[in-house]
Amino acid sequence: MRDKETRVKLLRWLIHSPTTYRVLRPIVDLQNIRENTAYRIWVRFLLDILRKAYAHKRPVIWMNSFLPIEIVYGVGAVPFLPEVMASLVGYMGWGEYPIAQADARISTDLCSFYRCAFGLALEGFLPRPNLIISSSHLCDGANKLFHYFSQICGCPHLMLDPPYSESPSTHQYMTDQLKDLVEKTCGLLRLPLDQDRISLVLNLSNQTRQYLVKINELRRAVPSPFPGSEGLSYLAGMNFYSIGSGWGLRFFRSLHDDIEKKVANKKGYLFEEKHRLLWLHHVRPYYKNEIFQILAERKAAVSFEESNYLYWPPLDPAQPWKSMVDKILSNIWAGPLERRMKAIEEMVENYSIDGVIHFSHWGCRQSCGGAAVIGDWLKERGVPYIVLPGDCMDPNNYSPGQTRTRLEAFIEMLE
Amino acid sequence: MSQSLAFKKLLNGLKSEASEVRGNPVLGWTCTYLPLEILDAAGLSSYRILPETSSERADAYLDPNFCPFIKASLGKVLEGEYSFLSGIVMLNTCDGMRRLYDAWRFYCHPPFSFLLDLPRIVTSSSIAFFREGLVDLIGKIERHFGVTVTKDGLASAIEEANRTRALIRRLFSSQGRGDPPLRHSDILDILAEGWTNQRKVFNKALDHFLAKLEVDSSVVSRGPKLMVTGSLLDGSLLIRLIEELGGEVVASDLCIGERFLDGVILGSDPVLSLSKAYLEKAPCARMYDTERRILHLKHELDKTKAGGVIYFALKFCDPYLYEAPAAEEALRRIGVPTLFIEGEYTGRISGGTRTRVQAFLEILGRDAG
Repeated sequence: MRDKETRVKLLRWLIHSPTTYRVLRPIVDLQNIRENTAYRIWVRFLLDILRKAYAHKRPVIWMNSFLPIEIVYGVGAVPFLPEVMASLVGYMGWGEYPIAQADARISTDLCSFYRCAFGLALEGFLPRPNLIISSSHLCDGANKLFHYFSQICGCPHLMLDPPYSESPSTHQYMTDQLKDLVEKTCGLLRLPLDQDRISLVLNLSNQTRQYLVKINELRRAVPSPFPGSEGLSYLAGMNFYSIGSGWGLRFFRSLHDDIEKKVANKKGYLFEEKHRLLWLHHVRPYYKNEIFQILAERKAAVSFEESNYLYWPPLDPAQPWKSMVDKILSNIWAGPLERRMKAIEEMVENYSIDGVIHFSHWGCRQSCGGAAVIGDWLKERGVPYIVLPGDCMDPNNYSPGQTRTRLEAFIEMLE
Repeated sequence: MSQSLAFKKLLNGLKSEASEVRGNPVLGWTCTYLPLEILDAAGLSSYRILPETSSERADAYLDPNFCPFIKASLGKVLEGEYSFLSGIVMLNTCDGMRRLYDAWRFYCHPPFSFLLDLPRIVTSSSIAFFREGLVDLIGKIERHFGVTVTKDGLASAIEEANRTRALIRRLFSSQGRGDPPLRHSDILDILAEGWTNQRKVFNKALDHFLAKLEVDSSVVSRGPKLMVTGSLLDGSLLIRLIEELGGEVVASDLCIGERFLDGVILGSDPVLSLSKAYLEKAPCARMYDTERRILHLKHELDKTKAGGVIYFALKFCDPYLYEAPAAEEALRRIGVPTLFIEGEYTGRISGGTRTRVQAFLEILGRDAG
């Protein structure tokens, strides 16, 4: 017991020390020498952002994943995304401890990303925020939990409340909210509202977006050049975290170049590709699991994943608030289910999809709630579909046998 | 005969006398943030979707980790229990409600459906935005049902609804009167009658009922006083259990209880008056401001002298489950014992819940003694 406490204290101290990330960089660079450049940029980006967040030389803003990150880069603060950090913790296999800490305080039926982030916050592992911002457009948990985070951390919380449906005044209503949020952010953090910086960030975001357009275009190729499992990990992570920064531009350019070469050489990520699958839901299990291995054994490629669907139009640096509101309001997972269905239809068509897997993450009502409707609608169109229940963060909710049986039955159906 | 049964008998008598209630299109609704005054002004009947029991029918259509109330509602729709409805009006209350709306439209094709955008924040611009949603709802109702909602009609409907609220306030202050004494569970059962009956008939019944009840000046009070807050309860079962175990519920911060009794202040724009009043009413956990909710709880505790709080969250109900630790902490800081119950929507109380409530009442009784 004593030993464990000491280990946790030591770990907390290491995590909070900016030096840790400086020391780690050459080590992980060496470790990742065989990985593609984009992956190496992702790791360096993470070490850089963590170093900055713990160094506290600039204000740190916690935010939830679906808020445009351009807001934080635009005001010159350091963004910190607890959900992305929770997924990393899960990926490293360290999720059980913070989840257990959270479970003593909140229901085990809540989203495990949030439970993990909550546990990390309670245990003092996360960098101290100067401000927390969140948006309610995707799920109910975000604002409630982020508001509670602000109480635990003793800092202000600002929120955006995007409407569900479009109406003539929706844009103006949202633009006013966003403008107010940014002005309050600058006021609270004593940061200048620098229009030039905001324009620069939006330009970077647009340049990055161009690469994302090209990447998504390249991923139509047969065989699939890029694994969906990676699309659901570091690619999705960079999509949430880096757009509007120089890191993001470098990452997406490098990933584009890499995929372009593979497509030119007709090189798929699987040795042999027989089926092309679409993965629905923004996430996958991040702890050790066999899902993608089972699919690969059966020559089924995850050719595309919903999380990297490009839903927002290019941003207009001359109208930053309106542009970012457009980005929020065009989110396919918010608003009426038809919006998501239309995007799925497009993805099925564009990526020559043979079958669709909906990963139903335990505790995620907004996505899983639509799984049956989407499934029945796809089946009416002759697209095979399966719901794969599981949990992205909590291995206790993962059933290897059941998962294998369901996936194998699904692939047999495709054959 | 319990007071709620006596009221039901009285109401049924009045219903058989009233002829006006038959034949109107009926709109189903789910959330108390919907201003029913609009439906009243349109001459439509309204029916609150509150299934009495759970249904397994929805299991194939909604994920296992879904709010049991939502599943029960969808199950009953699929079983054809709501086939008499001419349409539904829902609000984007929570993820569950949005997905219920999707599933209802996709599988059951209601002749009329509307999802009203409910802001989570209360500001002058959110009040204006909600007002626009109400105007849109009125327009869609008028076009679909071939009715007209006039400003005067809306003003009369608001006045009649305010009358209901005033009567309900009187009902709550009559708790403990009568023989047998009117209990909190009786009041909730009486309110439930209001969700499915014509407002005018319901008001008349309340009026008659109170006239008899208020003659009795003696007020019976028993056991430790407590308040119940949280998400939707499956009827008055939990309240009844508390009463059976010797406790006295003196406040119910619930959407089947006391959440909106202040009334609508009628201004020159009745739709704006509705928008303002509904957004500013005592908030449920779905709204953003946890502090406002906690202040409201503290105010109610102060007013009623309740010595403890039962915080009930339906299983998988994210707004309440995420809010619970903050609320419990705030109540603990002011020395109010809290019992957190995560429950089902099954039409019965589990043995575990019974034991926990009993133990909680014993603690409250001991502290009071």
